[in-house]
Amino acid sequence: MTDTNTMLDLITQETARILAEKGEAALPVTADTAFLDGPLPFDSLDLATLIVALEGITGKDPFRAGFRQFNTAGELAALYAAA
Amino acid sequence: MSRTVIVTGGSRGLGLAITRALLEAGYAVATCSRHPGDDLPPLLAAYPDRLFWQQADIGVAASSQAFIDGAVQRFGAPWALINNAGIAREGILATLPLVEVDDLIQTNLTGAIQVARAALRHMLSRPGGGRIINISSIIGQRGYTGLAAYAATKAGLDGLTRALAREVGRRRITVNSVAPGYLDTEMSGTLSGGQREQIVRRTPLGRLGTADDVVPAILFLLGDGAHFITGQTLTIDGGITC
Ligand SMILES: NC(=O)c1ccc[n+]([C@@H]2O[C@H](COP(=O)([O-])OP(=O)(O)OC[C@H]3O[C@@H](n4cnc5c(N)ncnc54)[C@H](OP(=O)(O)O)[C@@H]3O)[C@@H](O)[C@H]2O)c1
Repeated sequence: MTDTNTMLDLITQETARILAEKGEAALPVTADTAFLDGPLPFDSLDLATLIVALEGITGKDPFRAGFRQFNTAGELAALYAAA
Repeated sequence: MSRTVIVTGGSRGLGLAITRALLEAGYAVATCSRHPGDDLPPLLAAYPDRLFWQQADIGVAASSQAFIDGAVQRFGAPWALINNAGIAREGILATLPLVEVDDLIQTNLTGAIQVARAALRHMLSRPGGGRIINISSIIGQRGYTGLAAYAATKAGLDGLTRALAREVGRRRITVNSVAPGYLDTEMSGTLSGGQREQIVRRTPLGRLGTADDVVPAILFLLGDGAHFITGQTLTIDGGITC
């Protein structure tokens, strides 16, 4: 089982990698950080890239049965922890 | 390192011609079909380092996913995808068996969307843009008696092209359709002599097309010179729709 904190660390790491690939400066990501419409220079394609990367690393797909609402890094971590 | 292009349906017809041309142009090619056919095995022997084939039925999600996984394992994230595999089923719609309608939609449309989805998951993580080319058909634009369900799948592919072009443009991935007219391949083998004559009569350039008439457009769209062209349908039909 992956716990929420481990997932959050992974999400932080992968988010930083995606931002770096876009040439954006790294920004701190906490459980409360919103992916879209917040300070993070992230768009919907970046979010899709993050989710594909997380699935590749964890082998989990919390969205297999359909989309589940989340806004923040903490909420996404919880979805993976529960999957 | 060579750029990798995934081509569905590379065992014969247009897909085989595209595969051959891409190999000659220096690309690595990952292709699939339900059967290897006669012409692909010698090509696999000639290009062991740059050609990969896997048996797959793109109408079955698990099978197309396994093909994309195999291709990525072999060559890494692809530069481009050419959604070429397709089938034709002819018949007046009122009497076309529903199983054939399902087959057409599952292979030509759902299959192509699934392959694009699976490939994009890797293309998005690859910096530097990319290309998706959907092989549609003039039948999807103009229609033809006996090909209503086929036409619907091809018009659907053109819709996929336009929507996806908007979705992935920010990553410098272009998405275009190439719409051939009547090509002299196994697929058009069911045309009667009369139908062929009529097509030739109505074609300003006076003949059916060949796979080799389409290949240069594919090479162009894959190339760096086409980096600002997206969401378009390029018709290659000797002028029959003009
Ligand atoms: N021929 C024409 O006049 C014409 C005109 C306009 C557009 N097009 C389009 O051009 C594309 C190529 O046509 P073509 O004339 O080259 O046809 P073709 O000679 O019949 O070749 C079709 C290729 O697709 C493969 N294929 C078919 N169903 C598949 C499946 N479910 N899963 C995996 N591979 C599959 C075939 O191999 P297997 O059978 O072994 O699977 C073969 O390699 C098609 O999308 C077609 O709609 C053709």
